Amino acid sequence: MTITLDEVATKTSAYLAAKWKCQVDVTNITKIFGGASRETYRLEVAVDGQSRGLILRRDPPTSLIDTERKLEYGAYAAIYPTDIPVPEPLFLENDTSILQQPFSIMAAVDDAVTDVSTLNEAQKRLIGREKWQLLGTLAMKDPVELGFDRFMEIPELDQCAARELAYWEKIIMEDEIHPQPIAHAAIRWLKNNLPQQAQKLSVVHGDYRSGNFLFDPDDGIRAVLDWEMCHLGDPFEDLAWSLDPLWSWAEPENAGGLLPPDEAISIWEESSGLTVDPEVFKWWQVFASVKGLAIWISSSEDFQNGEGKDSILAMAGWLMTDRQNQILLNYLSPHAGGQWKGGLA
Amino acid sequence: MIPNTDSALRMLSQRLMTQLLPDLKSEYSQSDGMLLGMLMMAIADEVATGIDTRMKDIADMKALLEQGRDYHDAGLLTVAEPASLSLKDVNQLHDDLTRHLIELHARVEIADSSEASQMLGDIWHYLEASTGRHAIAAMG
Repeated sequence: MTITLDEVATKTSAYLAAKWKCQVDVTNITKIFGGASRETYRLEVAVDGQSRGLILRRDPPTSLIDTERKLEYGAYAAIYPTDIPVPEPLFLENDTSILQQPFSIMAAVDDAVTDVSTLNEAQKRLIGREKWQLLGTLAMKDPVELGFDRFMEIPELDQCAARELAYWEKIIMEDEIHPQPIAHAAIRWLKNNLPQQAQKLSVVHGDYRSGNFLFDPDDGIRAVLDWEMCHLGDPFEDLAWSLDPLWSWAEPENAGGLLPPDEAISIWEESSGLTVDPEVFKWWQVFASVKGLAIWISSSEDFQNGEGKDSILAMAGWLMTDRQNQILLNYLSPHAGGQWKGGLA
Repeated sequence: MIPNTDSALRMLSQRLMTQLLPDLKSEYSQSDGMLLGMLMMAIADEVATGIDTRMKDIADMKALLEQGRDYHDAGLLTVAEPASLSLKDVNQLHDDLTRHLIELHARVEIADSSEASQMLGDIWHYLEASTGRHAIAAMG
């Protein structure tokens, strides 16, 4: 089901007017490209004569990530009062009579960007340091104190790794259009080398990488975005994902295009108070690539069989699968000489 | 008829990206169009070499499965040919062989012999070669 920009603007005006019990006019609306899991719109609204920026995220018929919008919105609401910056969550609407699909609305974060590729060296260091400091801060927090237990399942410490592996393995097995020999080999390796238990239970963002936070290049990170894969688990999961070579393809010496992996790990350790055990962390690095593969395989399947024919699904399903396979070969093939690119010898 | 379909697709993609997209007003449409153009370039590579790439994989996998018959029997697939050289039929045989290769890989991993160890190395060599062959130069 498609919806025009005018329809989104008109219906959102009426929705917000009813919610805020005042006149609301949408003065500008644009669709943001790259919202792979939700359609994303930026709106400027006039509320009682005051201008305000909003972000509306609408469920598409298919997406890269099949997620529960309630969990995502709940994560934003739980994190918002903390020292981890996130956009202010305003409304979650499951009534499909308004915009044909469920949607959420958040306050826009102004004067901030997501692209790290244009940063100079000093800016990279500033944003990089803050990126892994914030991730360490998130790892340190007690999910129960934040109220995550009210809407998310709490796994046992010795089940965090196995549970995540089972989840993503199922996606690969169900969604692979062509059999994936590298993914299968990696899953066997992960099953044979499961870590004993997590050091602690943490809030796992689930997609913590460059591109998923807004920042002012000279003033630091303004908001961490895209919590749709948020869950409770082992904090190494986010750290390994943030260091996956996929996010620094053009600049392999810098994790996420920002800092050398070793430095990122040191910052995270200092901030979280946790220690990275290289052997355990290897598992999470391989897992990160398998999880990536699962997402890209799933997007291929969505593009092939789903309602959505979004170009980003095809791109992710093709280019990313290709690259993620190369990363896994580098991790697992005996001919790669055991090179662990990602910060650990 | 356009004999060099891959070249034609590349030219059309360039026309889309350099002449049509700049005239689009919406930033969303420009970004989407740019991605479409890049995908067309990758598809052009597939049109040019996709069958050849898969046939090389097929030859390699048949040899590996023949070599590993003591660990996993792929039956007559080791001598099978695709029903035709259409992408659909070549993909079908490629998929069938890959499923058997996955099974063979899992079995030699747990076998305790120097022959299995050699096989394991050969399978990884194949996975590296195949991944290299399928690498998407157009978007690299």
